[in-house]
Amino acid sequence: MLGEVPIGAQYADTGWFGVAATFMVMVFILYNIVRAHNRHDLFIRRIPGLNAINDAVGRATEMGKPIVMVPGLGQLDAIAVQAISIFTHVVRLAARFTTPIVLCCADPAVYTVAQEMIRDVYLQEGIEDRYDIDSVRFISDRQFAFAAGVSGLVLRDQAAACFFMGAFYAEALIFAETANSVGAIQVASSTETTQTPFFITACDYVLIGDEFYAASAYLSREPVFVGSLIGQDWSKIAIIVAIVIGVIMNTAQIGALKLNQITEAKSDAAYKQLAAPRPITMDDTTMSLMFNPQDDKTWKVERPQKPKDTADKGAGK
Amino acid sequence: MAKIIGDKLQSLPKYWLFAILFLVTSIPLFHPLSVPTPPDDGSADLYAHLMQVPAGSTILLASDWTNSTRGDSKGQFVAIIKILADRKLKAAIYSTADAQAPRVARDTIAEINAVRVKNGQPPYSQWNDWVSLGFYPSAEGQLSSIATDLRKAFASKTEQNPATGEQQDVFESPVLQKIYKLSDCALSFTITASKTSDLTVERLLHKTPLVLMVTGVMGPQTQNYYYSGQIVGLAIGVKGAYDLETLMAKGLNVPGGIVSTKIPASAPPLSNQTDVQSIGTLFYPPLQFALWLLIIMVVIGNVGMALSKMGAQSK
Amino acid sequence: MEFLAQTDPGFWFGQPETMDLRIKVIGCLVFGFVLLAVLLNVPSRWRKYIVGAITFFAGLFWILQFFWPQPLHRSPTDLPANPKEVVSFWLDDAVPVVSDFTSILTAMLTLLGIFSLLRVHLGRLFKMQKDWAFSLVLAIAFVCQATFSLWDYYDRKANPQITAGHGWHIQNYMSDLLFDGMVQQFEAAMFSMIAFYILSAAYRAFRVRSPEASVLLGAALIVMLSYMGVVTQWDGFVKSMAGSNQFLLNFQLSVIRSWIKDFVQTPSIMGIEFGIGIGTISMGLRLWLSLEKTGNI
Repeated sequence: MLGEVPIGAQYADTGWFGVAATFMVMVFILYNIVRAHNRHDLFIRRIPGLNAINDAVGRATEMGKPIVMVPGLGQLDAIAVQAISIFTHVVRLAARFTTPIVLCCADPAVYTVAQEMIRDVYLQEGIEDRYDIDSVRFISDRQFAFAAGVSGLVLRDQAAACFFMGAFYAEALIFAETANSVGAIQVASSTETTQTPFFITACDYVLIGDEFYAASAYLSREPVFVGSLIGQDWSKIAIIVAIVIGVIMNTAQIGALKLNQITEAKSDAAYKQLAAPRPITMDDTTMSLMFNPQDDKTWKVERPQKPKDTADKGAGK
Repeated sequence: MAKIIGDKLQSLPKYWLFAILFLVTSIPLFHPLSVPTPPDDGSADLYAHLMQVPAGSTILLASDWTNSTRGDSKGQFVAIIKILADRKLKAAIYSTADAQAPRVARDTIAEINAVRVKNGQPPYSQWNDWVSLGFYPSAEGQLSSIATDLRKAFASKTEQNPATGEQQDVFESPVLQKIYKLSDCALSFTITASKTSDLTVERLLHKTPLVLMVTGVMGPQTQNYYYSGQIVGLAIGVKGAYDLETLMAKGLNVPGGIVSTKIPASAPPLSNQTDVQSIGTLFYPPLQFALWLLIIMVVIGNVGMALSKMGAQSK
Repeated sequence: MEFLAQTDPGFWFGQPETMDLRIKVIGCLVFGFVLLAVLLNVPSRWRKYIVGAITFFAGLFWILQFFWPQPLHRSPTDLPANPKEVVSFWLDDAVPVVSDFTSILTAMLTLLGIFSLLRVHLGRLFKMQKDWAFSLVLAIAFVCQATFSLWDYYDRKANPQITAGHGWHIQNYMSDLLFDGMVQQFEAAMFSMIAFYILSAAYRAFRVRSPEASVLLGAALIVMLSYMGVVTQWDGFVKSMAGSNQFLLNFQLSVIRSWIKDFVQTPSIMGIEFGIGIGTISMGLRLWLSLEKTGNI
């Protein structure tokens, strides 16, 4: 059966709203990056965990013990790069005072990038001869072998300061408790929200949620970083506004006592009359339909066909 | 005096705590106990959805766990395989999280089959009932590939056909011969202890109904997907495995079964009740004992703090 | 439009376990080394632009794949209906190929990680530096695991009749001992340690020091109690006392736990996840457009 294909139906699989929202976030970030180049009075609130970096490095220098840094267990992605970016700040401070550092990586790609970035820091400081190639190590890509390796390192070397930033999973508490047992000062951040409570319990300072992403802007005050942080804040404000509008719209549609009834409901991308009125549910609301795309199985796009002898039997949707 | 007692209560040696925990969690393993706890909504929903899948359908199963999280994940995996075997559903098993995972899955199915054969049941056989599609190091890429073109995502994978002894394309097996795209799979399961749960929701959403089975610590984060309707079932940790075993034994919203007010669907118990209760039922009581110990130690610590404060104030 | 979207077998395909495929793989490796040598000799002022260009075009593919309309209800025999669908079809067909690129890269990087590991530990071993004994253990474990696992794999491939415990030789026993007997159990033991750490951390940290800590402790206790068998006892008691009074039914542990989960825990986590998600988009955007000045913090 042929059905008319509505405009935007090609976004049936992804939902136009999600695509538009992502585009909006990108525009906010890029616009504010440009804007930040022209303005230098943009405010970032105080983040205690990042203020503690100087104290932690100072403590390690006084004690003559190493600083241990772990950029999480994830692959080379935005989280790992952000973690290593924060660590370059730590390493810059440590390099000036000849404080030993150990950066433990659980992913070979992260290890490669970390090595290059840390070497660059020593180069920029003009003390390339102090760079120890073994200060950046690949321990293991096995989660608990990595946890055992890092814990052993912290215990044997009696680390004075530990920085755990990035994607941590179950091994987060192992790291935190081990560092706690040797009396190290700890600054941690996990992008996995389930590990944040463990870090909060055991660590001295914790960056929660996107304070982790704000770190590069906070430490460097570069226009690119500050601008993108402001763009992120604009996006969050937009989400808050959408939530408030959604609450108002849903309350109006469903009714404060959930008594409103409907006589037709959307099914397979088209409104159909119901046999009998029924109470409206969350799935019937405008906000829900906007976020949950519908796909009518009867839609058909007229397309030319492949010649029979070259048709690929296995491919296609 | 109060201060001395209070200080002592706050500074109990941690090795004592470890010893007590070891004893307390070991006892229920030797003296099995029954703990009547109602199943979570996510587990009940998962069971209802799985029991409604027509016999002979294929489930896409991402087995992203290894023995490091076997306390949580193995019970979930065993429960799912038992349901699939009982209902004659087929499974295409792959992994994007850990290179060890495919072997761990195969070994676990072999354990299940050993018990099934001993009990006179047919084994859940490779090639006819399930295929192993292997490990793919890039989770993001592979999941995008599965969402776009499932046959190309698993192209060139072969397995041995037991009838002929030859290595054949997995898409010639009874498991995958009628599967051309992801929506041909009745459900997509992900049993994981890592962020592949998030990646699965990001990339496979709206292609086929999704079910996640995660470790206990990932539960709160993963619940968001269940509450928003992005996944149709969620099993969390040892409790999830225990819930599934309870539902497998008693059924959901059927006479004599578990009653759920929030999940309206009904689902019968498994037709064959032999060896239904295993890892979840075995590990759930030790979890209860550990939680009790945790509460007691927290109370002791706070009592100690209160006594220390009282003692300090009275001075 | 082909390029990446190879829908029909041709030069870029090879059948598994054939000499044709092996020759193509070796050829690609040789080409890769040649390309690497060329890139290493490129003047350093051009490197930033080459890296930026490769990053941009690699990211552009996935950006387009997300934003460009996907082909609706495409069947295996369809051809594109219009220019927009030409791009849609190409993106769809290229996804599996590009995904294979990332899988291959990830596998190659694993080799790099192994090289790093061995370099550090063999160096420590040969120079007899501090803790060299641990490095010796690692080297021996590495060689044994690799040798026996590969031997076992090829043995089982050649002799499919080998089943669990029957017809085993030394390579099968050693592979089983090293993998199932040691690696798996070590990993399970490490995960189990977390339970002990949770107990000691909770005992040390869960103190009523402030109003916020009190609320946290109270919520934690309620949630923990609600996971125990005690919930059925208390809930049964509340139901018997409440009778037809709907308000009193709210004092059931399971109801209180559901309220904490639905109205406190889940929205909090959602809020944090929104922030992290937007932060990830921001970071990804900066990496894609090479705006990220890493190392300059």
